[in-house]
Amino acid sequence: MTAIDPIAAGAAIVAGLKKAGIDFVATLPDEKMLEVIRAVEADRQLKHVPLCREEEGIGICAGAYLAGKKTAIIMQNAGFLNSCNALTTTSLQLQIPILMLIYYAGDIGDRGFTTLGAVTEPVLQAMGFRSYVLRRPEEIDETLAGAQILADDSKKPVAVLLTKSVLGVK
Amino acid sequence: MKRYDCLKILAAEINDALVVSSAGAMTLEWNSLHPGDGNFRVRTLGLCSSIALGMALGLPHRKVVALDGDGSLLMNLCSLPTIARMKPANLVHIVFDNEVYEASGSKKTATGAGTDLVGMACAAGIKNSQWAKTDDQFASAARAALRGSELCFIGAKVTTERTAVPPFPIDEVENKYRFMRYIEKSERIEIFKTNLPASYS
Repeated sequence: MTAIDPIAAGAAIVAGLKKAGIDFVATLPDEKMLEVIRAVEADRQLKHVPLCREEEGIGICAGAYLAGKKTAIIMQNAGFLNSCNALTTTSLQLQIPILMLIYYAGDIGDRGFTTLGAVTEPVLQAMGFRSYVLRRPEEIDETLAGAQILADDSKKPVAVLLTKSVLGVK
Repeated sequence: MKRYDCLKILAAEINDALVVSSAGAMTLEWNSLHPGDGNFRVRTLGLCSSIALGMALGLPHRKVVALDGDGSLLMNLCSLPTIARMKPANLVHIVFDNEVYEASGSKKTATGAGTDLVGMACAAGIKNSQWAKTDDQFASAARAALRGSELCFIGAKVTTERTAVPPFPIDEVENKYRFMRYIEKSERIEIFKTNLPASYS
C-alpha cells in the first residue's frame, strides 16, 4: 500500500469526490479528517455547509438533492449514528441518495473507540446501506466514483468508511 | 391568530416560491390553499428548516419558504445557527407556534412554557427575525420577506384550531418526483439523466 500524508490524502479525496460528480458537501469536523475538510472548504467548485449536528446535514443534503445537486456528507461514525432517524424517514423513505464519507473510529487497531467501531458496520447493514471500507489511497477514485454510481442509481445512501491509512493519519 | 388565515395571506403572495412544509396538519391546510408541484412535504420531524436550507443553497436565485412548527424547530434547534452561518438571501423561515405537539396528542411544547423562538433565531445570528402578532403584521412581514432579498425568520403565535381540509393527495415518493420534475421544468435543468447500460452504446 502506498503511504500518503494527510494533506495529499485530503486533496486526493476531494479530487475523487469531484470526479464522482459531487458538487455539494456538508461536513462536521473530526480530527482525523481535518485535511479533507480543509480541502473541501478551499475548493471553489464545491458548495460547503459546515454543520452543528450531522442529522441536520442529512436534511440539508436532501434539500440540495431536490434542487438538483449531487451531495456528500463527511462525518465520524458517531455522527452517522446521530443521523439514523433522518436517514430512515427522509433518505430511505423518500428515496434520496447521499454519499456518506464516514471516519471509521474504532476500526481495527484504533484505541478508545471500540464500542463505536463495533456497532458501525452492523448498523449500516441493518439500515440496508451498502458500505465500503477504504484503506488504500490508490483506491480512492474508484471507490468514490463507484459508491456515487450506486447511490445515484439506487436512490439510497451509500457509505464509504475512511480509515487511518487512507487519510494518512496515525 | 389562526394558522389557516396566515396561510391564506401567504398563498396570495407566494408566486413561484418553493414551499417546504413540516409534517402535520399545516401541510394539508397549505396544500388545500395552494396546491402544486412546488410544495414539498417533509416526513421527518425537525428537518423542515434543514431541507429548506439545502434547497435554498442549491437554487440561490429561487425563493424558498420553510413552513415550520414549534415542535419541529425545537427538535432541530441547531438548524438556526447553521442557517445564520450560511445566510441564504433567498430563504424565508416561518414558524407557526401553537405551543403544542399538534400531531402527537397536543401535549405542550417548551414554547408553551416560555421559550422564545424568535429570540433564539436572533441570538443564533438571524438578524431579520420578528414576531407577527396580528394578521396585518403577518401580512406585512410575509410580503416584505417574499419581495425582499434577505434571510428572514418570522414567528407567528397561532391557536391550536385546525381547519378541515382534504388529505394530502400523493405519497412522499410521488411528491419527490413531481417536485423535482417541476424544478427541471421551471429551472430548465436536467436532474434525472438516463444512463444506458454499456451494451447499448
